[in-house]
Amino acid sequence: MDAGMDRSRTKLHLDPRTKLFMVFVVSVIVLMTATTPLTWALRIGITFVPLALLVAEGRVVSALRFGVLYAVALVLLRFFISAESTGLLMSLLIGYCAIVAQFMPVIIMAWYLIRTTQIGEFMSAMQKMHVPDGISISLAVVMRFFPTFKEEYAAIRDAMRMRGIMLGGGSIVKMVEYRMVPLLFSCVNIGDELSAAAITRGLGANVKRTSVIELKLTVTDKLLMLCFACLAALFVAAKYWKAL
Amino acid sequence: MIRIQNVTFQYKGSEQGGVRDISLSVHEGETILLCGSSGSGKTTVMRLINGLIPHYYKGELSGSVMVDGMDIGNTELYDLAGIVGTVFQNPRSQFFSVDTDGEIVFGPENIGLQPEEIRRRKDLVTEEMALSSLLNRSLFELSGGEKQRIACASVAALLPKNVLLDEPSSNLDWKAIGNLRRVIQRWKEQGKTILISEHRLWYVQDLVDRVLFIRNGQIEQEWSGTAFRAMDGAALQRMELRASTVEQNFSLTQHENRETNPTAGEICFKDFYFNYEKKQRLFHRKNTQNDPDGHLTLRVPDFCLRRGCVTGLIGSNGAGKTTLLRCICGLEKGCGGRIELNGQRYIGKKKLSLCYLVMQDVNHQLFTDSVEGEVLLSMDRQDSKAVSEILASLNLADYAGTHPMALSGGQKQRVAIASAMAAKAELLLFDEPTSGLDYVHMCSVAKLLRNLAEAGKTILVSTHDPELLSLCADDILHIEGGQITEHYDLNKDTIGKLGAFFTEQIG
Repeated sequence: MDAGMDRSRTKLHLDPRTKLFMVFVVSVIVLMTATTPLTWALRIGITFVPLALLVAEGRVVSALRFGVLYAVALVLLRFFISAESTGLLMSLLIGYCAIVAQFMPVIIMAWYLIRTTQIGEFMSAMQKMHVPDGISISLAVVMRFFPTFKEEYAAIRDAMRMRGIMLGGGSIVKMVEYRMVPLLFSCVNIGDELSAAAITRGLGANVKRTSVIELKLTVTDKLLMLCFACLAALFVAAKYWKAL
Repeated sequence: MIRIQNVTFQYKGSEQGGVRDISLSVHEGETILLCGSSGSGKTTVMRLINGLIPHYYKGELSGSVMVDGMDIGNTELYDLAGIVGTVFQNPRSQFFSVDTDGEIVFGPENIGLQPEEIRRRKDLVTEEMALSSLLNRSLFELSGGEKQRIACASVAALLPKNVLLDEPSSNLDWKAIGNLRRVIQRWKEQGKTILISEHRLWYVQDLVDRVLFIRNGQIEQEWSGTAFRAMDGAALQRMELRASTVEQNFSLTQHENRETNPTAGEICFKDFYFNYEKKQRLFHRKNTQNDPDGHLTLRVPDFCLRRGCVTGLIGSNGAGKTTLLRCICGLEKGCGGRIELNGQRYIGKKKLSLCYLVMQDVNHQLFTDSVEGEVLLSMDRQDSKAVSEILASLNLADYAGTHPMALSGGQKQRVAIASAMAAKAELLLFDEPTSGLDYVHMCSVAKLLRNLAEAGKTILVSTHDPELLSLCADDILHIEGGQITEHYDLNKDTIGKLGAFFTEQIG
């Protein structure tokens, strides 16, 4: 076995398909409004799964950060903000808390997917699910571009700091312009060179792409999928079947 | 076997970089060097062979290109994947994966090889290129040299018989160039047909069988490897080529008639300590690492630069050159340190008012939609007369209304310098200003640095380019492991020391 497999043995290593399924389930739950205490409990409960997974992967700090952010938003929303709240600050706070409380579960889940999945694994999973190469390659490029964005953005921010134009002279339009214009230019350049390099190495060939990473669903994977399927079913039932 | 017959190519929407009526045939197992200034058409020749022209870069093409019996114009790019491999210039933008393993197997996966075969090839190239220490790593944490080794490996994993290298050493230090040289040597031993396009000639000149000099899109001269190696430095300079031997990098021809002002005084730097915090923390903690015993990325208690002089900052890869530059201009928040000038102390953010860093990728520091706007942005008070003076002094007067992104690399660099002048920076810091530059452009950077120094600015330039240092540096500051190991005047007696440092690196 090669070195790439070592990492998988030391830590909890889920199949990307499981992770994708979990993202899907959490998205479904997040997009349906929770109305009853049971649905709220389900929604909050399901947030603990990606947090626990992050801890299991050794990303304790990230898990804590997400957890605290989510908890604060929930507490504020439940106890300190009511429909009678007025004022600019309050309405901003309501908007912010509502967004965090609503979408945090899926943000954490997606973050977990991106951070713990190698592109090779991801491509292999997509192939197993018979997703067309065009789609899986585009998604892989998106994943590859996250760190590039981060690097470029950091460099641009340094340059802005050096010239003392972080605040764009007080104009919000300028603030955005100064960040976006160089970022877009360098990302377009990188993208162009990247595609040239990729197609000289056979990207887009009309043969079936293969993958060295062979994925197999483990017991943990199957259990998690089953568990999430049940949670989704329960949530839908609780919402639409009044008897519960 | 590569055969180019009467090829003329013109890029769509651009006058530059095309080729005119080029014919070239390369035998199997030959190693060819293409040299010539930027924009002469070297890269175009490469693209003609790997099929990016006409399949990716569009334009007007006539003539035919055949590689191993295949007509490039009528062959799909992916069918060429196992036949022609290309190593590109920029290590940052030529990898597709995020991790090294994925990158090496990317090509073989694309052409649908069986997993067992792919693993066999991966083990083969890992073994051949001694890459085991780089496996299973994120590509984003590798140095430029390491990235370039992975790029070579991912090309090699497709087992192409023809390998093209397009200015592969542009962003590399001498140690990485040494590694690159060994890779090329191995490919040559394996009987691959190799074409290298380069500005730095010294590291490949003894490997090549033939050298082609390209100017204005035509092959102007051709030498056998032996004839090329017999040429002297002056002949190369007349053709505007860079040093072709290691020694030629270290000649102080323009050093004699140089004036420095001994009364200009010094800028002093005190207490620069810094450590990169690798471990993730729950909350960002400001760290003032003045602990003298701990392990630090940077430990520079005290040094001074002569004002009005150019000081070259050298050191091996990861020695802390860029960190020092960033700390000096106050970009690293965790770094204390102060600058002393004319009895005044500059600490914290005040350092920014004194310094200006011209970054390696100058694209990151141009923000506005015109050159003039770029300079005005750096001024406290809008003074258009001063702007035109600055632009004129940097030969940018004709471009005042041009969008900075429409300029050439050298012009962009000068725009960045113009805004530094407008910001009244006393200390100009340069990070690798000559990476990937040809002889003419390298010389003009050297001249620019001299002019700035003579105008009273203090220059600190971090570089892997001894040719640049030989042309313009007064002093050398050598840093290793985050500490200053040497600081000396560059002259006839000390040039040997500089030479020893660089040649040691090649290994």
